[in-house]
Amino acid sequence: MAAAASSSTFPPPCHHLPQLHQNHTKSLSSLFKPKSRTTKFSVRPLSISPKASLSDPFVLQIAETLEDSNSSSSLKQSPILQKLRESSSESILSLSWPTRKDEPFRFTDTSFIKNSQISSISADPESNLVDFESDGGDDTQTPNIVIVDGQIVNSLSKLDELPDNVYVGSILGIDSDEIREEVMKFVSNFEDKDLFWSLNGIGAPDVTIVYVPSDCVVEKPLHFRFYSHETSEIGSSNLPMSNPRVLVLVEKGGEVGIVEEYLGGAEDKCYWVNSVMEVLIGEGGKVSHTYVQQQAPSAAHFKWTSVRQESSSTYKLVEVSSGGKLSRHNLQIQQVGPDTITELSTFHICVRDQTQDLHSKLILDHPRGVAEQRHKCIAAHPRSQVVFDGNIKVNRLAQQTDAAQLSRTLLLEDSATVNMMPNLQIIANDVSCSHGATVCDVDDDQLFYLLTRGIDLATARKSLIFAFGTEVMSRLPCDSLQKKVERHIQRLLDPTPS
Amino acid sequence: MASLASFSTISSSSAARLSSLRNSSSNSFVLTKSSPNSIKLLSTPPRQYKRLVLKAKANSVIDAPTTSYINDVSDSPKVLLEVKDLTAKIADSGEQILKGVNLVIYEGEIHAIMGKNGSGKSTFSKVLVGHPDYEVTGGTVLFKGENLLDMEPEERSLAGLFMSFQSPVEIPGVSNSDFLNMAYNARRKKLGFPELGPLEFYDYISRRLKIVNMDTNFLNRNVNEGFSGGEKKRNEILQLAVLGADLAILDEIDSGLDVDALQDVGEAVNELLTPQKSVLMVTHYQRLLDIIKPKFVHIMEDGKIVKTGDISIAVQLEKEGYKGISS
Repeated sequence: MAAAASSSTFPPPCHHLPQLHQNHTKSLSSLFKPKSRTTKFSVRPLSISPKASLSDPFVLQIAETLEDSNSSSSLKQSPILQKLRESSSESILSLSWPTRKDEPFRFTDTSFIKNSQISSISADPESNLVDFESDGGDDTQTPNIVIVDGQIVNSLSKLDELPDNVYVGSILGIDSDEIREEVMKFVSNFEDKDLFWSLNGIGAPDVTIVYVPSDCVVEKPLHFRFYSHETSEIGSSNLPMSNPRVLVLVEKGGEVGIVEEYLGGAEDKCYWVNSVMEVLIGEGGKVSHTYVQQQAPSAAHFKWTSVRQESSSTYKLVEVSSGGKLSRHNLQIQQVGPDTITELSTFHICVRDQTQDLHSKLILDHPRGVAEQRHKCIAAHPRSQVVFDGNIKVNRLAQQTDAAQLSRTLLLEDSATVNMMPNLQIIANDVSCSHGATVCDVDDDQLFYLLTRGIDLATARKSLIFAFGTEVMSRLPCDSLQKKVERHIQRLLDPTPS
Repeated sequence: MASLASFSTISSSSAARLSSLRNSSSNSFVLTKSSPNSIKLLSTPPRQYKRLVLKAKANSVIDAPTTSYINDVSDSPKVLLEVKDLTAKIADSGEQILKGVNLVIYEGEIHAIMGKNGSGKSTFSKVLVGHPDYEVTGGTVLFKGENLLDMEPEERSLAGLFMSFQSPVEIPGVSNSDFLNMAYNARRKKLGFPELGPLEFYDYISRRLKIVNMDTNFLNRNVNEGFSGGEKKRNEILQLAVLGADLAILDEIDSGLDVDALQDVGEAVNELLTPQKSVLMVTHYQRLLDIIKPKFVHIMEDGKIVKTGDISIAVQLEKEGYKGISS
């Protein structure tokens, strides 16, 4: 039924990117131009069946599990959420589980998830409070949002210091029609990105909204802490999956800092977090985004960050990702107006048998954008896998773009693998673009310099390896977070300090 | 000799290690490490720990813990460094640079080596501190009676040998204070003193900063990163002031300095000198020797010391160039 119709009507999921925002009008709402195809299915009740020949049974199974869990819960009946789930479900039908033959997953092995029995989250986190506060005690200065298994835990969150008219909270709790309308427009304009994006749309129990009105500057960063409460033991075939989703809307001239911290808790737990954050920055707006990923060693962590920048807006990302067995960050930034500033600083580190993967895509369609991307990575374990696919696309109208991309990897172990695909696609002819990529061991000259000052080899190497990541870590927004992250990285590099 | 050679092996194999870059089917590239033992060598190099005769001067150690030794109180100056027929080549290319260097430095002496570009002056300095780019092919070097060539670079440093680099490398991500703290603690550890925490060290270092005429915010900057030529040289001398040394090799400490900065740096070195401490300067110009006054000036040519004399050689050199010297 829906499946058969949709499979022929839908464009394949990867064809939606060009052309979509060629008409660069400046108002925020113009971004939400609904696509015609979504209306066709909006009234039909959801139903997924493995009837369509294109459907992947494993994918459908996950989607059904997630759907069942959400429909059984009473509090999740919001028209906006319903809309999101419908659009997501439709897109799932034409998607299959990625294999190494699919370009975006050519170097990323997802089989450990595929070999698991995916279960959804059933418990209501409020009814099952555990001690999640232990490692966040130093953040009392900033507004805090605790999200457990995708749902806000209000009793642990602290949001009383926000300016008036700023809304941070569940999509279900929005009390302003204006905000509801904006959010609805955004959700209606569902875009296919990939399977995990859509699975999140089906499975998200809630959408946490951050709404910053025009010209409002939120002084203190909003600190999101994400935990996974429902987990399984290592060795169990069961893999509980949670789908946190956050939508950040910053109106013209608004400014906000967002800190996303994913914390693993117990070392021996297994779970899958499939998180999505969408960020929309209005004209002249500024978003400073920090993303710290410290999941448990056996966890799977998938993360989407999708950003749209209107004219003269600024988006800055600082990422430090060290946790999980398999960690994948899809970062996509679309410029929808001229004079934007985009700054991406990311640091990945593998100290176990683990995969750290960053797929970033920055699409420039308007003049005078400034983009700076630096990606740093350390492969410190013989079985660590590092993947970087960094694409910057400077399209025909993006004249006078100033773009730079640099990726550097420290390869410290035999048999560790680094796959790098840095690429700039430049169509405009009046631009200044540079890129570079290096993979190497600790610099011999730097090492020798330290040795000649009497520092022993082990200490010298350790300090140079740590120093490699500090270029990114030093950009973390507040001192306490920076110190905390640095301590964490130091522990990972040197588990038994003398 | 053996340990130096092993260090060189590591550095040359690192080139091989990085060369295993192969094209994959698309426009990406794949890098894997191929030589399985290169890294292990680096992390656990073969060591030959030598016991050095160390008797610390109790009162001066806390301030500047050099590994100065006073074995006896005889008045006759002792040989500090003795280089005999030293030959060395570039490890990668095999090009012979040092072709039989002979040099003896006594405690408390100041020496200068001058010579044309490419005569081997800087190579000689680097070989003395154990630079892995060079391989010693013959000759001996004794430092305080011990075989220097048997020591790892960090052991040479702890034994009391210091070299200020001609172009010090930048180390982003390592702050100057952490770096100096690490190096200072390595020295204290060697002498059996407790290591200093960052705060205690800050006290100590603040006083030393005055010697080189530098501001304390200099400590928060990363090692040599974005430093001007003058700042880099001052930083080298600051390290000398912090770590102390029985023999300081100053490799073109005057290059890239304006007249005032040269004066500052030179005076800082003079301030650090004691009757026991020795200096070996490598320079092109007499102006440095006007500030730090050497007892001996050596002329190096094609990997050998061809002439030794006093300051008058430098004066003659300044007037007539190398032609006047060799004739």
